[in-house]
Amino acid sequence: MSKKKVTEDTFGSSYKKLEVILAKLETEIEDHSLEEIIEKYQEAINLLKICRKKLDEAELKIEKLSTEEEN
Amino acid sequence: MNSPVSVSELTRDLKNTIERNFSFVFVKGEISNFKNHSSGHFYFSLKDSKSQISAVMWNSRAKDLNFMPEDGMSVLIKGRITLYETRGSYQIDAFEILPSGVGELQIAFEKLKKKLYDEGLFDERYKKPIPLYPEKVTLITSETGAAFHDFIKVTENRYPLVRILLIPAIMQGANSAESICSAIKKANSVAYKSEIIVITRGGGSIEDLWTFNEEKVARAIFNSKIPVVSAVGHEVDFTISDFTADKRAPTPSAAAEMIFPDAYDLKLRLNVSENSLKRHIHYRINKLKNELSSIERNYYFKRPADLINEFRMNLDALDRDIKSVTAGKFRNIKTNIETNRKLLNSLNPENVLKRGFAIIRRDERIVTQSSQLKIKDEIQIRFSDGESDAIVK
Repeated sequence: MSKKKVTEDTFGSSYKKLEVILAKLETEIEDHSLEEIIEKYQEAINLLKICRKKLDEAELKIEKLSTEEEN
Repeated sequence: MNSPVSVSELTRDLKNTIERNFSFVFVKGEISNFKNHSSGHFYFSLKDSKSQISAVMWNSRAKDLNFMPEDGMSVLIKGRITLYETRGSYQIDAFEILPSGVGELQIAFEKLKKKLYDEGLFDERYKKPIPLYPEKVTLITSETGAAFHDFIKVTENRYPLVRILLIPAIMQGANSAESICSAIKKANSVAYKSEIIVITRGGGSIEDLWTFNEEKVARAIFNSKIPVVSAVGHEVDFTISDFTADKRAPTPSAAAEMIFPDAYDLKLRLNVSENSLKRHIHYRINKLKNELSSIERNYYFKRPADLINEFRMNLDALDRDIKSVTAGKFRNIKTNIETNRKLLNSLNPENVLKRGFAIIRRDERIVTQSSQLKIKDEIQIRFSDGESDAIVK
């Protein structure tokens, strides 16, 4: 399951997760133990890495739906 | 050449030849002699300055027309040529009549706009949101058009993370409406799950853009399950499709700018996120550090000897308590002993003898009453300083 998730990581999903963690750290930082906060921090750093990698390595892909294939 | 053919044989031949070769025609002209028959069929002629041709639109199609043709109206007709054998005349069997003069187009535009508006097709509540960070986008346009290149160029600069599925379509003229409708259908049915459909073409005359004012195109856009962005023509060109689309962009480039975030901005935002992340964790760690050092600064942690001394003083106090308690006990016991000694002393028979009393014994037994003695009994008398023997008389 977790393997599948890794391959499904997209810029959008990673960026949204990052935003959720940041919002949590901003509003609920007092509610979590240091261990939880550090775990979230590491997750966020990892997401940042994924997002940057996606942006740096992105290359526009254009596919054409051939009409012959449809017929 | 030898044997003549009959009129009907010739007519049949002509019919076959004509109908096979003109099974689809797209003609422009002006309507004249228009008759709306009680049966619902339309009969008219289509003419230009030099020629004219008879035309018919059967009621099955005429009832779907969203405007009423009139004499003098410029129109585009899609249909086929049929030959009516009885009279040996040919005519256009019109499938579709589209207004083509600017005036007519404007009227048709307003009519369709009102009709679809009344049906609620432009309602905000039907507008689907455009996803923020799309992964897959379908582009319906002409491969050779400037719109395609403009859109791709902006996308490449702005958000190269996306995958574009191009569905080529005819963007103007005959068959364009069918082509666009079928492309929308394909985009919705194909396994390739697009999050957005962009329909785009560059600017042109009102006739060039007319396809996007056709009811079936407007409805196909409205019915798409995937959100549709319509980017047709230039800033000033509004089409009915723009109103039924989920979002309208003024130009092909603007469509790309509208739906894709700018990767450069995203990188800046990631930096901001990282800074704020670090700030938060440092804040939390510093707070914990402060709590720890405030515990360290606590009085007892600072001077452990004081704590021990305090315990020692407590011990001393306890020691004193124990001593005073035991000393008291000893004093009481001493007093008791002295009292008892005096009491015992006062009871000592020696003292009684000293006061002049004596103890009489006979046969080693103490005699306490005179009746116990008889004459001649030998007795011993004990005094405080010694004994004497005596005989009772």
